Amino acid sequence: MHIAVLAKVVPDYAVPSSDFELVDNRAHAKYTRMIGLYDENAIETGVQLKQKYGASLTVISYGRDSDVPVLRKALAMGADRLVMIQGESDDAYTVAANLKLAIEKLGNVDMILAGQQSADMDRGLVHGLTAGMLGCPFIPQVSRISSENGVWTVDQIMENGVREMSVSGKAVFSITSVPENVPRIPAVRDIFGAKKKPVEKMVSVSGNGACVTEISVEIPILTSVCELIPMDDPGVMAQTLLKRLREARYL
Amino acid sequence: MKTLIVEIIEPNRLGELMTASRKFCDQPDIVAIGTGDIPGSYHVAYQTQECIGANLTASLGDLIKTNGYEIVLMSATTLGASIAGPLAILLSASIITEATGITDDSMIERPIYGGKAVARYKADTWPLILTIRRKYFEKDTLNGQTSSIPLPVSAGPVKLVTEKIEKAEGVPLEDAEVIVTGGRGMGGAENFSMLKDMAGYFPKGAVGASRGAVDEGWVSPSLQIGQTGKIVAPSVYFAIGVSGASQHLAGIANAKCVVAINKDEEANIFKRARFGLVCDYKNVIPEIVRALREES
Ligand SMILES: Cc1cc2nc3c(=O)[nH]c(=O)nc-3n(C[C@H](O)[C@H](O)[C@H](O)COP(=O)(O)OP(=O)(O)OC[C@H]3O[C@@H](n4cnc5c(N)ncnc54)[C@H](O)[C@@H]3O)c2cc1C
Ligand SMILES: Nc1ncnc2c1ncn2[C@@H]1O[C@H](COP(=O)(O)O)[C@@H](O)[C@H]1O
Repeated sequence: MHIAVLAKVVPDYAVPSSDFELVDNRAHAKYTRMIGLYDENAIETGVQLKQKYGASLTVISYGRDSDVPVLRKALAMGADRLVMIQGESDDAYTVAANLKLAIEKLGNVDMILAGQQSADMDRGLVHGLTAGMLGCPFIPQVSRISSENGVWTVDQIMENGVREMSVSGKAVFSITSVPENVPRIPAVRDIFGAKKKPVEKMVSVSGNGACVTEISVEIPILTSVCELIPMDDPGVMAQTLLKRLREARYL
Repeated sequence: MKTLIVEIIEPNRLGELMTASRKFCDQPDIVAIGTGDIPGSYHVAYQTQECIGANLTASLGDLIKTNGYEIVLMSATTLGASIAGPLAILLSASIITEATGITDDSMIERPIYGGKAVARYKADTWPLILTIRRKYFEKDTLNGQTSSIPLPVSAGPVKLVTEKIEKAEGVPLEDAEVIVTGGRGMGGAENFSMLKDMAGYFPKGAVGASRGAVDEGWVSPSLQIGQTGKIVAPSVYFAIGVSGASQHLAGIANAKCVVAINKDEEANIFKRARFGLVCDYKNVIPEIVRALREES
Protein backbone atom coordinates (compact mmCIF):
# COMPACT_ATOMS: atom_id res chain seq x y z
CA MET A 1 0.00 0.00 0.00
CA HIS A 2 1.33 3.43 -0.93
CA ILE A 3 -0.24 6.50 0.69
CA ALA A 4 0.40 10.05 -0.49
CA VAL A 5 -0.30 13.02 1.78
CA LEU A 6 -0.73 16.52 0.33
CA ALA A 7 0.70 19.11 2.71
CA LYS A 8 1.17 22.84 2.36
CA VAL A 9 3.53 25.13 4.24
CA VAL A 10 1.84 28.35 5.34
CA PRO A 11 2.62 31.47 7.38
CA ASP A 12 1.97 31.06 11.13
CA TYR A 13 -1.81 30.70 11.35
CA ALA A 14 -1.87 31.57 15.04
CA VAL A 15 -0.79 35.19 14.49
CA PRO A 16 -3.62 37.28 15.99
CA SER A 17 -5.60 39.61 13.73
CA SER A 18 -4.21 42.69 15.43
CA ASP A 19 -0.64 41.74 14.43
CA PHE A 20 -1.44 40.63 10.90
CA GLU A 21 0.09 42.51 7.97
CA LEU A 22 -0.14 42.10 4.20
CA VAL A 23 2.48 42.78 1.55
CA ASP A 24 1.32 42.52 -2.08
CA ASN A 25 -1.95 40.94 -0.95
CA ARG A 26 -0.21 38.09 0.88
CA ALA A 27 0.89 37.58 4.50
CA HIS A 28 4.06 39.49 5.38
CA ALA A 29 7.17 37.34 4.91
CA LYS A 30 8.17 37.84 8.55
CA TYR A 31 5.80 35.19 9.91
CA THR A 32 7.22 31.79 10.83
CA ARG A 33 6.47 29.10 8.23
CA MET A 34 4.73 25.91 9.34
CA ILE A 35 2.76 22.97 7.99
CA GLY A 36 -0.99 23.72 7.90
CA LEU A 37 -2.88 22.44 10.94
CA TYR A 38 -5.27 20.13 9.06
CA ASP A 39 -2.41 18.95 6.86
CA GLU A 40 -0.70 17.78 10.06
CA ASN A 41 -3.87 15.85 10.94
CA ALA A 42 -3.61 14.23 7.49
CA ILE A 43 0.07 13.37 8.00
CA GLU A 44 -0.74 11.87 11.41
CA THR A 45 -3.53 9.78 9.85
CA GLY A 46 -1.08 8.64 7.16
CA VAL A 47 1.52 7.64 9.76
CA GLN A 48 -1.05 5.61 11.71
CA LEU A 49 -2.20 3.82 8.53
CA LYS A 50 1.43 3.17 7.58
CA GLN A 51 2.00 1.53 10.96
CA LYS A 52 -1.22 -0.48 10.78
CA TYR A 53 -0.91 -1.75 7.21
CA GLY A 54 2.86 -1.58 6.59
CA ALA A 55 2.27 1.04 3.92
CA SER A 56 4.79 3.42 2.45
CA LEU A 57 4.08 7.10 2.96
CA THR A 58 5.03 9.97 0.65
CA VAL A 59 4.40 13.63 1.41
CA ILE A 60 3.82 15.86 -1.61
CA SER A 61 4.02 19.62 -1.36
CA TYR A 62 3.83 22.37 -3.94
CA GLY A 63 5.62 25.51 -2.79
CA ARG A 64 8.92 27.16 -2.14
CA ASP A 65 12.16 25.24 -2.09
CA SER A 66 13.00 27.05 1.16
CA ASP A 67 10.10 25.23 2.85
CA VAL A 68 11.83 21.84 2.66
CA PRO A 69 13.26 22.20 6.23
CA VAL A 70 9.72 22.88 7.52
CA LEU A 71 8.41 19.76 5.79
CA ARG A 72 11.09 17.63 7.45
CA LYS A 73 8.69 17.60 10.39
CA ALA A 74 6.44 15.30 8.32
CA LEU A 75 9.39 12.97 7.75
CA ALA A 76 10.18 13.08 11.47
CA MET A 77 6.55 12.19 12.23
CA GLY A 78 6.99 9.04 10.13
CA ALA A 79 6.64 9.77 6.41
CA ASP A 80 9.20 7.97 4.23
CA ARG A 81 9.93 10.61 1.63
CA LEU A 82 9.08 14.06 0.40
CA VAL A 83 8.28 15.22 -3.10
CA MET A 84 8.70 18.99 -3.36
CA ILE A 85 7.19 20.64 -6.42
CA GLN A 86 8.80 24.04 -6.79
CA GLY A 87 6.20 26.71 -7.51
CA GLU A 88 4.74 29.94 -6.19
CA SER A 89 1.13 29.97 -7.38
CA ASP A 90 -1.85 30.12 -5.03
CA ASP A 91 -4.25 29.33 -7.84
CA ALA A 92 -6.18 26.19 -6.89
CA TYR A 93 -6.29 24.74 -10.43
CA THR A 94 -2.54 25.25 -10.90
CA VAL A 95 -1.68 23.70 -7.53
CA ALA A 96 -4.01 20.73 -8.18
CA ALA A 97 -2.58 20.16 -11.67
CA ASN A 98 0.91 19.95 -10.19
CA LEU A 99 -0.13 17.65 -7.34
CA LYS A 100 -1.84 15.39 -9.87
CA LEU A 101 1.36 15.16 -11.95
CA ALA A 102 3.42 14.27 -8.87
CA ILE A 103 0.90 11.59 -7.84
CA GLU A 104 0.92 10.10 -11.33
CA LYS A 105 4.72 10.18 -11.40
CA LEU A 106 4.84 8.13 -8.20
CA GLY A 107 2.82 5.60 -10.15
CA ASN A 108 1.54 3.21 -7.53
CA VAL A 109 -0.39 5.47 -5.13
CA ASP A 110 -3.43 3.74 -3.57
CA MET A 111 -4.82 6.56 -1.47
CA ILE A 112 -4.34 10.31 -1.27
CA LEU A 113 -4.88 12.19 2.00
CA ALA A 114 -5.18 15.95 2.32
CA GLY A 115 -6.05 18.42 5.03
CA GLN A 116 -9.65 19.59 5.25
CA GLN A 117 -8.45 23.05 4.24
CA SER A 118 -5.18 24.92 3.92
CA ALA A 119 -4.36 27.27 6.79
CA ASP A 120 -3.82 30.30 4.54
CA MET A 121 -6.25 30.11 1.62
CA ASP A 122 -8.93 28.37 3.74
CA ARG A 123 -10.88 27.20 0.73
CA GLY A 124 -11.11 23.40 1.00
CA LEU A 125 -10.83 23.05 -2.75
CA VAL A 126 -7.44 21.85 -3.99
CA HIS A 127 -8.05 18.22 -2.92
CA GLY A 128 -11.42 18.01 -4.68
CA LEU A 129 -9.91 19.45 -7.86
CA THR A 130 -6.99 17.00 -7.64
CA ALA A 131 -9.45 14.10 -7.30
CA GLY A 132 -11.41 15.38 -10.31
CA MET A 133 -8.21 15.59 -12.37
CA LEU A 134 -7.16 12.09 -11.32
CA GLY A 135 -10.66 10.82 -12.10
CA CYS A 136 -11.07 9.21 -8.70
CA PRO A 137 -13.68 9.63 -5.93
CA PHE A 138 -13.33 12.38 -3.35
CA ILE A 139 -14.68 12.23 0.20
CA PRO A 140 -14.13 15.27 2.44
CA GLN A 141 -14.03 15.62 6.24
CA VAL A 142 -12.91 12.07 6.98
CA SER A 143 -11.99 11.18 10.57
CA ARG A 144 -11.19 7.45 10.34
CA ILE A 145 -10.02 5.06 7.60
CA SER A 146 -9.67 1.32 7.47
CA SER A 147 -8.84 -1.06 4.63
CA GLU A 148 -9.96 -4.56 3.77
CA ASN A 149 -9.51 -6.39 0.45
CA GLY A 150 -8.89 -3.18 -1.46
CA VAL A 151 -11.96 -1.48 -0.02
CA TRP A 152 -11.63 1.64 2.15
CA THR A 153 -14.16 2.20 4.87
CA VAL A 154 -14.22 5.75 6.13
CA ASP A 155 -16.08 7.86 8.68
CA GLN A 156 -17.09 11.31 7.55
CA ILE A 157 -17.93 13.98 10.12
CA MET A 158 -20.96 15.90 8.89
CA GLU A 159 -22.65 18.94 10.43
CA ASN A 160 -25.09 16.75 12.31
CA GLY A 161 -23.42 13.40 12.78
CA VAL A 162 -21.19 10.74 11.28
CA ARG A 163 -21.57 8.83 8.05
CA GLU A 164 -19.73 5.57 7.39
CA MET A 165 -19.01 4.93 3.73
CA SER A 166 -17.00 2.51 1.63
CA VAL A 167 -15.20 2.95 -1.67
CA SER A 168 -12.79 0.78 -3.60
CA GLY A 169 -9.72 1.71 -5.64
CA LYS A 170 -7.72 4.91 -5.59
CA ALA A 171 -9.51 7.73 -3.74
CA VAL A 172 -8.82 11.16 -2.27
CA PHE A 173 -9.88 11.84 1.33
CA SER A 174 -9.66 15.14 3.14
CA ILE A 175 -8.96 14.71 6.83
CA THR A 176 -10.73 16.58 9.57
CA SER A 177 -9.43 16.90 13.13
CA VAL A 178 -10.45 14.47 15.87
CA PRO A 179 -8.64 13.60 19.11
CA GLU A 180 -7.31 10.43 17.42
CA ASN A 181 -5.34 12.35 14.80
CA VAL A 182 -3.84 15.14 16.89
CA PRO A 183 -0.36 15.37 15.32
CA ARG A 184 2.36 13.59 17.28
CA ILE A 185 5.42 15.52 18.47
CA PRO A 186 8.43 13.82 16.88
CA ALA A 187 11.17 12.49 19.18
CA VAL A 188 14.66 14.02 18.89
CA ARG A 189 15.93 10.73 17.39
CA ASP A 190 13.27 10.94 14.66
CA ILE A 191 14.11 14.58 13.94
CA PHE A 192 17.71 13.54 13.27
CA GLY A 193 16.57 10.50 11.30
CA ALA A 194 14.40 12.72 9.09
CA LYS A 195 17.47 14.55 7.82
CA LYS A 196 18.55 11.38 6.03
CA LYS A 197 15.21 10.65 4.36
CA PRO A 198 14.96 11.29 0.61
CA VAL A 199 13.65 14.57 -0.81
CA GLU A 200 12.82 14.62 -4.49
CA LYS A 201 12.40 17.97 -6.21
CA MET A 202 10.14 18.54 -9.18
CA VAL A 203 9.79 21.51 -11.48
CA SER A 204 6.23 22.82 -11.65
CA VAL A 205 4.06 23.27 -14.72
CA SER A 206 1.83 26.28 -15.25
CA GLY A 207 -1.85 25.42 -14.95
CA ASN A 208 -4.87 26.74 -16.82
CA GLY A 209 -5.89 28.94 -13.89
CA ALA A 210 -9.11 28.71 -11.90
CA CYS A 211 -10.80 31.18 -14.26
CA VAL A 212 -11.19 33.65 -11.42
CA THR A 213 -9.30 36.91 -10.93
CA GLU A 214 -8.29 38.13 -7.51
CA ILE A 215 -9.33 41.77 -7.37
CA SER A 216 -8.23 42.81 -3.89
CA VAL A 217 -7.21 41.59 -0.45
CA GLU A 218 -7.89 43.71 2.59
CA ILE A 219 -7.64 43.44 6.34
CA PRO A 220 -11.04 44.16 7.87
CA ILE A 221 -11.03 46.79 10.57
CA LEU A 222 -12.05 45.41 13.96
CA THR A 223 -13.48 47.93 16.33
CA SER A 224 -14.32 46.69 19.77
CA VAL A 225 -14.28 48.26 23.14
CA CYS A 226 -14.14 45.71 25.87
CA GLU A 227 -15.58 46.74 29.21
CA LEU A 228 -13.77 44.83 31.95
CA ILE A 229 -16.06 43.91 34.83
CA PRO A 230 -14.30 44.39 38.20
CA MET A 231 -13.44 41.12 39.88
CA ASP A 232 -13.24 42.06 43.56
CA ASP A 233 -16.17 39.87 44.57
CA PRO A 234 -17.25 37.05 42.22
CA GLY A 235 -20.88 37.25 43.41
CA VAL A 236 -21.14 40.97 42.73
CA MET A 237 -19.32 40.46 39.45
CA ALA A 238 -21.88 37.89 38.27
CA GLN A 239 -24.75 40.22 39.11
CA THR A 240 -23.05 43.22 37.47
CA LEU A 241 -22.45 41.24 34.29
CA LEU A 242 -26.06 40.05 34.01
CA LYS A 243 -27.31 43.56 34.79
CA ARG A 244 -25.10 45.11 32.09
CA LEU A 245 -26.21 42.49 29.54
CA ARG A 246 -29.85 43.28 30.27
CA GLU A 247 -29.39 47.05 30.25
CA ALA A 248 -27.86 46.79 26.80
CA ARG A 249 -30.78 44.51 25.80
CA TYR A 250 -28.56 41.60 24.80
CA LEU A 251 -30.52 39.39 27.18
CA MET B 1 -28.13 34.40 -15.26
CA LYS B 2 -29.35 30.84 -15.29
CA THR B 3 -28.85 29.62 -11.75
CA LEU B 4 -29.06 26.18 -10.17
CA ILE B 5 -29.15 25.57 -6.43
CA VAL B 6 -27.98 22.14 -5.22
CA GLU B 7 -28.93 21.48 -1.61
CA ILE B 8 -30.53 19.11 0.84
CA ILE B 9 -34.14 19.88 1.76
CA GLU B 10 -33.52 22.04 4.83
CA PRO B 11 -35.33 25.39 5.04
CA ASN B 12 -32.50 27.41 6.63
CA ARG B 13 -29.91 26.39 4.07
CA LEU B 14 -32.39 26.81 1.21
CA GLY B 15 -33.40 30.27 2.49
CA GLU B 16 -29.79 31.46 2.55
CA LEU B 17 -29.13 30.09 -0.95
CA MET B 18 -32.30 31.74 -2.24
CA THR B 19 -31.01 35.10 -0.96
CA ALA B 20 -27.63 34.53 -2.62
CA SER B 21 -29.32 33.50 -5.88
CA ARG B 22 -31.10 36.89 -6.09
CA LYS B 23 -27.75 38.42 -6.98
CA PHE B 24 -27.84 36.42 -10.20
CA CYS B 25 -31.45 35.71 -11.18
CA ASP B 26 -35.14 36.19 -10.32
CA GLN B 27 -35.97 32.56 -9.84
CA PRO B 28 -33.42 29.76 -9.66
CA ASP B 29 -33.81 26.09 -10.50
CA ILE B 30 -32.96 23.53 -7.85
CA VAL B 31 -31.69 20.02 -7.37
CA ALA B 32 -33.23 19.17 -4.01
CA ILE B 33 -31.70 16.27 -2.11
CA GLY B 34 -33.82 14.19 0.21
CA THR B 35 -37.44 13.23 0.60
CA GLY B 36 -40.56 15.31 1.13
CA ASP B 37 -41.84 18.61 -0.21
CA ILE B 38 -39.48 21.29 -1.46
CA PRO B 39 -40.15 24.59 0.31
CA GLY B 40 -39.90 27.74 -1.83
CA SER B 41 -40.70 28.69 -5.35
CA TYR B 42 -38.31 27.53 -8.06
CA HIS B 43 -38.54 27.70 -11.81
CA VAL B 44 -37.80 23.97 -12.19
CA ALA B 45 -37.15 21.56 -9.32
CA TYR B 46 -35.34 18.23 -9.66
CA GLN B 47 -35.21 15.83 -6.74
CA THR B 48 -33.05 12.89 -5.74
CA GLN B 49 -32.51 10.88 -2.58
CA GLU B 50 -28.83 10.27 -3.35
CA CYS B 51 -27.06 12.20 -0.61
CA ILE B 52 -23.39 11.30 -1.23
CA GLY B 53 -21.61 14.01 -3.18
CA ALA B 54 -19.26 11.69 -5.06
CA ASN B 55 -22.25 9.76 -6.42
CA LEU B 56 -24.04 12.89 -7.62
CA THR B 57 -21.27 14.64 -9.52
CA ALA B 58 -21.75 12.90 -12.89
CA SER B 59 -25.51 13.47 -13.11
CA LEU B 60 -25.18 17.07 -11.92
CA GLY B 61 -22.55 17.62 -14.62
CA ASP B 62 -24.92 16.29 -17.29
CA LEU B 63 -27.81 18.43 -16.05
CA ILE B 64 -25.70 21.60 -15.93
CA LYS B 65 -24.29 21.02 -19.41
CA THR B 66 -27.66 20.18 -20.95
CA ASN B 67 -29.43 23.19 -19.47
CA GLY B 68 -26.58 25.66 -19.75
CA TYR B 69 -26.58 26.81 -16.12
CA GLU B 70 -24.20 29.71 -15.55
CA ILE B 71 -24.21 29.72 -11.76
CA VAL B 72 -24.25 26.65 -9.51
CA LEU B 73 -24.90 27.53 -5.87
CA MET B 74 -24.36 25.30 -2.84
CA SER B 75 -23.72 25.94 0.82
CA ALA B 76 -20.18 25.36 2.09
CA THR B 77 -21.12 22.24 4.01
CA THR B 78 -19.99 18.61 3.79
CA LEU B 79 -22.21 18.15 0.74
CA GLY B 80 -20.99 21.31 -1.01
CA ALA B 81 -17.36 20.44 -0.23
CA SER B 82 -17.88 16.94 -1.71
CA ILE B 83 -19.30 18.15 -4.98
CA ALA B 84 -17.68 21.52 -5.80
CA GLY B 85 -14.14 20.51 -6.80
CA PRO B 86 -14.85 17.38 -8.86
CA LEU B 87 -17.80 19.13 -10.57
CA ALA B 88 -15.57 22.09 -11.50
CA ILE B 89 -13.16 19.71 -13.25
CA LEU B 90 -16.00 17.96 -15.06
CA LEU B 91 -17.29 21.30 -16.40
CA SER B 92 -13.97 23.20 -16.65
CA ALA B 93 -15.79 25.74 -14.52
CA SER B 94 -14.73 28.76 -12.49
CA ILE B 95 -14.97 28.00 -8.81
CA ILE B 96 -15.03 30.00 -5.58
CA THR B 97 -15.68 28.27 -2.27
CA GLU B 98 -16.66 29.50 1.20
CA ALA B 99 -17.96 32.88 -0.01
CA THR B 100 -19.27 35.26 2.64
CA GLY B 101 -20.54 38.04 0.39
CA ILE B 102 -21.57 38.90 -3.17
CA THR B 103 -21.34 42.56 -4.16
CA ASP B 104 -23.85 44.22 -6.48
CA ASP B 105 -21.33 44.02 -9.30
CA SER B 106 -21.02 40.25 -8.78
CA MET B 107 -17.70 40.28 -6.98
CA ILE B 108 -17.36 37.42 -4.57
CA GLU B 109 -15.88 37.99 -1.12
CA ARG B 110 -14.29 35.32 0.98
CA PRO B 111 -12.04 35.38 4.04
CA ILE B 112 -8.47 34.09 3.83
CA TYR B 113 -5.77 33.65 6.49
CA GLY B 114 -8.29 32.39 9.02
CA GLY B 115 -10.47 35.47 8.60
CA LYS B 116 -7.60 37.90 9.11
CA ALA B 117 -8.08 39.20 5.56
CA VAL B 118 -10.88 39.30 3.01
CA ALA B 119 -10.25 38.65 -0.68
CA ARG B 120 -12.49 39.70 -3.57
CA TYR B 121 -12.71 37.69 -6.75
CA LYS B 122 -14.39 37.98 -10.11
CA ALA B 123 -15.23 34.97 -12.24
CA ASP B 124 -13.83 35.13 -15.76
CA THR B 125 -15.79 32.29 -17.31
CA TRP B 126 -19.10 30.47 -16.84
CA PRO B 127 -20.33 28.31 -15.33
CA LEU B 128 -19.27 29.54 -11.90
CA ILE B 129 -19.53 27.08 -9.05
CA LEU B 130 -20.03 28.94 -5.81
CA THR B 131 -20.31 27.64 -2.26
CA ILE B 132 -21.45 30.05 0.45
CA ARG B 133 -20.67 29.92 4.15
CA ARG B 134 -23.64 29.33 6.40
CA LYS B 135 -25.16 32.29 8.25
CA TYR B 136 -23.59 35.02 6.11
CA PHE B 137 -26.65 35.46 3.91
CA GLU B 138 -29.97 36.40 5.55
CA LYS B 139 -32.41 33.59 4.92
CA ASP B 140 -35.20 34.37 2.52
CA THR B 141 -38.73 33.43 3.47
CA LEU B 142 -39.57 30.46 1.33
CA ASN B 143 -43.07 30.82 0.00
CA GLY B 144 -45.10 27.79 -0.99
CA GLN B 145 -43.68 24.61 -2.39
CA THR B 146 -42.48 23.45 -5.78
CA SER B 147 -43.33 20.05 -7.19
CA SER B 148 -40.37 18.19 -8.56
CA ILE B 149 -39.28 15.88 -11.33
CA PRO B 150 -36.84 13.10 -10.42
CA LEU B 151 -33.16 13.59 -11.26
CA PRO B 152 -31.82 10.38 -12.74
CA VAL B 153 -28.69 9.31 -10.84
CA SER B 154 -26.75 6.19 -11.85
CA ALA B 155 -24.91 4.11 -9.26
CA GLY B 156 -21.80 5.91 -8.04
CA PRO B 157 -18.48 4.74 -6.58
CA VAL B 158 -19.29 5.30 -2.89
CA LYS B 159 -21.52 3.06 -0.75
CA LEU B 160 -23.28 4.29 2.36
CA VAL B 161 -22.69 1.84 5.22
CA THR B 162 -24.32 3.59 8.19
CA GLU B 163 -25.37 7.06 9.17
CA LYS B 164 -25.58 8.25 12.77
CA ILE B 165 -27.41 11.51 13.15
CA GLU B 166 -26.62 13.21 16.45
CA LYS B 167 -29.73 14.63 18.00
CA ALA B 168 -28.83 18.05 19.39
CA GLU B 169 -29.95 18.17 23.01
CA GLY B 170 -32.16 21.23 23.21
CA VAL B 171 -31.64 24.13 20.84
CA PRO B 172 -29.35 23.63 17.80
CA LEU B 173 -26.30 25.92 17.98
CA GLU B 174 -27.27 27.71 14.76
CA ASP B 175 -30.59 28.80 16.30
CA ALA B 176 -29.35 29.55 19.82
CA GLU B 177 -29.80 33.04 21.27
CA VAL B 178 -27.26 32.47 24.03
CA ILE B 179 -24.19 30.25 23.55
CA VAL B 180 -21.88 29.21 26.37
CA THR B 181 -18.63 28.02 24.76
CA GLY B 182 -15.77 26.29 26.49
CA GLY B 183 -12.22 26.11 25.15
CA ARG B 184 -9.04 24.28 26.04
CA GLY B 185 -8.89 26.42 29.17
CA MET B 186 -11.80 24.38 30.59
CA GLY B 187 -9.20 21.77 31.55
CA GLY B 188 -11.37 18.66 31.27
CA ALA B 189 -14.58 17.12 29.94
CA GLU B 190 -16.22 17.06 33.36
CA ASN B 191 -16.09 20.85 33.61
CA PHE B 192 -18.45 21.24 30.67
CA SER B 193 -21.37 20.26 32.92
CA MET B 194 -21.04 23.70 34.52
CA LEU B 195 -21.54 25.28 31.12
CA LYS B 196 -24.56 23.07 30.45
CA ASP B 197 -26.11 24.22 33.71
CA MET B 198 -25.51 27.83 32.76
CA ALA B 199 -26.91 27.46 29.22
CA GLY B 200 -29.98 25.76 30.68
CA TYR B 201 -31.09 29.00 32.34
CA PHE B 202 -31.55 30.77 29.00
CA PRO B 203 -34.66 30.03 26.93
CA LYS B 204 -32.66 29.41 23.74
CA GLY B 205 -29.34 28.53 25.31
CA ALA B 206 -26.78 26.01 24.01
CA VAL B 207 -23.24 24.82 24.74
CA GLY B 208 -20.47 25.20 22.15
CA ALA B 209 -16.73 24.49 22.03
CA SER B 210 -13.50 25.59 20.39
CA ARG B 211 -11.34 23.29 18.33
CA GLY B 212 -8.99 23.18 21.32
CA ALA B 213 -11.66 21.48 23.44
CA VAL B 214 -12.74 19.18 20.59
CA ASP B 215 -9.13 18.10 19.93
CA GLU B 216 -8.80 17.20 23.61
CA GLY B 217 -11.76 14.86 23.18
CA TRP B 218 -13.86 16.65 25.80
CA VAL B 219 -16.87 17.26 23.56
CA SER B 220 -18.24 16.07 20.23
CA PRO B 221 -16.91 17.71 17.02
CA SER B 222 -20.51 18.72 16.29
CA LEU B 223 -20.17 21.39 19.00
CA GLN B 224 -17.17 23.06 17.37
CA ILE B 225 -17.71 26.69 16.50
CA GLY B 226 -15.56 28.53 13.99
CA GLN B 227 -14.36 28.62 10.45
CA THR B 228 -14.41 24.83 10.16
CA GLY B 229 -17.16 24.30 12.70
CA LYS B 230 -20.58 25.82 13.15
CA ILE B 231 -21.13 29.44 12.19
CA VAL B 232 -23.39 30.99 14.81
CA ALA B 233 -25.12 34.32 15.38
CA PRO B 234 -26.40 34.45 18.97
CA SER B 235 -27.34 37.56 20.89
CA VAL B 236 -24.86 36.71 23.66
CA TYR B 237 -21.77 34.52 23.21
CA PHE B 238 -19.86 33.51 26.34
CA ALA B 239 -16.29 32.46 25.41
CA ILE B 240 -14.79 30.67 28.41
CA GLY B 241 -11.15 29.56 28.37
CA VAL B 242 -11.00 30.35 24.65
CA SER B 243 -7.95 32.24 23.37
CA GLY B 244 -9.79 33.87 20.48
CA ALA B 245 -7.86 32.54 17.47
CA SER B 246 -9.01 34.21 14.24
CA GLN B 247 -10.37 30.87 12.98
CA HIS B 248 -12.60 30.64 16.04
CA LEU B 249 -13.73 34.26 15.69
CA ALA B 250 -14.65 33.52 12.05
CA GLY B 251 -17.57 31.50 13.43
CA ILE B 252 -18.93 34.28 15.63
CA ALA B 253 -18.62 37.30 13.33
CA ASN B 254 -22.37 37.88 13.67
CA ALA B 255 -22.65 37.38 17.44
CA LYS B 256 -24.12 40.60 18.89
CA CYS B 257 -22.31 40.58 22.23
CA VAL B 258 -19.27 38.53 23.21
CA VAL B 259 -18.46 38.00 26.89
CA ALA B 260 -14.89 36.76 27.37
CA ILE B 261 -13.83 34.90 30.48
CA ASN B 262 -10.11 34.21 30.39
CA LYS B 263 -7.37 34.30 32.98
CA ASP B 264 -4.87 35.82 30.55
CA GLU B 265 -5.59 39.50 30.12
CA GLU B 266 -3.56 39.49 26.88
CA ALA B 267 -5.79 36.85 25.27
CA ASN B 268 -7.00 37.87 21.82
CA ILE B 269 -10.62 37.15 22.71
CA PHE B 270 -10.76 40.43 24.66
CA LYS B 271 -10.24 42.28 21.37
CA ARG B 272 -13.54 40.89 20.09
CA ALA B 273 -15.42 41.02 23.41
CA ARG B 274 -17.94 43.60 24.58
CA PHE B 275 -17.55 42.53 28.21
CA GLY B 276 -14.51 40.87 29.74
CA LEU B 277 -13.75 39.03 32.97
CA VAL B 278 -10.04 38.47 33.58
CA CYS B 279 -10.10 35.50 35.95
CA ASP B 280 -10.15 31.74 36.41
CA TYR B 281 -13.53 30.66 35.06
CA LYS B 282 -13.94 28.29 38.04
CA ASN B 283 -14.35 31.30 40.30
CA VAL B 284 -17.11 32.96 38.32
CA ILE B 285 -19.22 30.44 36.43
CA PRO B 286 -20.71 28.99 39.66
CA GLU B 287 -21.55 32.56 40.71
CA ILE B 288 -23.23 33.33 37.38
CA VAL B 289 -25.19 30.07 37.67
CA ARG B 290 -26.17 30.99 41.24
CA ALA B 291 -27.35 34.46 40.17
CA LEU B 292 -29.39 32.95 37.31
CA ARG B 293 -30.90 30.36 39.65
CA GLU B 294 -31.92 32.98 42.17
CA GLU B 295 -33.60 35.02 39.47
CA SER B 296 -35.54 32.11 37.98
C1 LIG C 1 -7.57 26.06 8.88
C2 LIG C 1 -7.87 26.16 10.35
C3 LIG C 1 -9.19 26.09 10.76
C4 LIG C 1 -9.52 26.18 12.12
N1 LIG C 1 -10.84 26.13 12.48
C5 LIG C 1 -11.17 26.34 13.78
C6 LIG C 1 -12.55 26.36 14.20
O1 LIG C 1 -13.47 26.18 13.40
N2 LIG C 1 -12.82 26.57 15.52
C7 LIG C 1 -11.83 26.76 16.45
O2 LIG C 1 -12.16 26.96 17.63
N3 LIG C 1 -10.52 26.71 16.09
C8 LIG C 1 -10.19 26.49 14.78
N4 LIG C 1 -8.85 26.43 14.43
C9 LIG C 1 -7.83 26.35 15.51
C10 LIG C 1 -7.45 27.69 16.11
O3 LIG C 1 -6.38 28.25 15.36
C11 LIG C 1 -6.97 27.51 17.57
O4 LIG C 1 -5.94 26.58 17.61
C12 LIG C 1 -8.09 27.03 18.53
O5 LIG C 1 -9.25 27.85 18.36
C13 LIG C 1 -7.60 27.11 19.96
O6 LIG C 1 -8.58 26.65 20.87
P1 LIG C 1 -8.69 27.26 22.35
O7 LIG C 1 -8.85 28.73 22.28
O8 LIG C 1 -9.70 26.48 23.08
O9 LIG C 1 -7.29 26.83 22.97
P2 LIG C 1 -6.01 27.67 23.41
O10 LIG C 1 -5.53 28.52 22.28
O11 LIG C 1 -5.09 26.69 24.00
O12 LIG C 1 -6.55 28.68 24.53
C14 LIG C 1 -6.95 28.32 25.81
C15 LIG C 1 -7.25 29.60 26.58
O13 LIG C 1 -7.78 29.27 27.85
C16 LIG C 1 -7.28 30.19 28.81
N5 LIG C 1 -7.37 29.54 30.13
C17 LIG C 1 -6.66 28.46 30.58
N6 LIG C 1 -7.08 28.11 31.80
C18 LIG C 1 -8.08 28.96 32.15
C19 LIG C 1 -8.92 29.09 33.30
N7 LIG C 1 -8.82 28.24 34.31
N8 LIG C 1 -9.84 30.09 33.31
C20 LIG C 1 -9.95 30.96 32.27
N9 LIG C 1 -9.19 30.87 31.16
C21 LIG C 1 -8.27 29.88 31.09
C22 LIG C 1 -5.86 30.48 28.35
O14 LIG C 1 -5.42 31.73 28.87
C23 LIG C 1 -6.03 30.48 26.83
O15 LIG C 1 -6.28 31.80 26.34
C24 LIG C 1 -8.50 26.33 13.08
C25 LIG C 1 -7.17 26.40 12.66
C26 LIG C 1 -6.85 26.32 11.32
C27 LIG C 1 -5.42 26.42 10.91
N1 LIG D 1 0.57 23.92 -2.25
C1 LIG D 1 0.08 22.77 -1.80
N2 LIG D 1 0.89 21.69 -1.64
C2 LIG D 1 0.41 20.52 -1.16
N3 LIG D 1 -0.87 20.33 -0.81
C3 LIG D 1 -1.71 21.37 -0.95
C4 LIG D 1 -1.30 22.63 -1.44
N4 LIG D 1 -2.37 23.45 -1.46
C5 LIG D 1 -3.41 22.74 -0.98
N5 LIG D 1 -3.03 21.48 -0.68
C6 LIG D 1 -3.84 20.38 -0.08
O1 LIG D 1 -5.22 20.65 -0.33
C7 LIG D 1 -5.89 20.94 0.90
C8 LIG D 1 -6.94 22.00 0.66
O2 LIG D 1 -6.31 23.21 0.29
P1 LIG D 1 -7.13 24.55 -0.02
O3 LIG D 1 -8.03 24.27 -1.16
O4 LIG D 1 -6.10 25.59 -0.33
O5 LIG D 1 -7.90 24.87 1.25
C9 LIG D 1 -4.79 21.32 1.88
O6 LIG D 1 -5.19 21.09 3.21
C10 LIG D 1 -3.65 20.42 1.43
O7 LIG D 1 -3.81 19.10 1.91
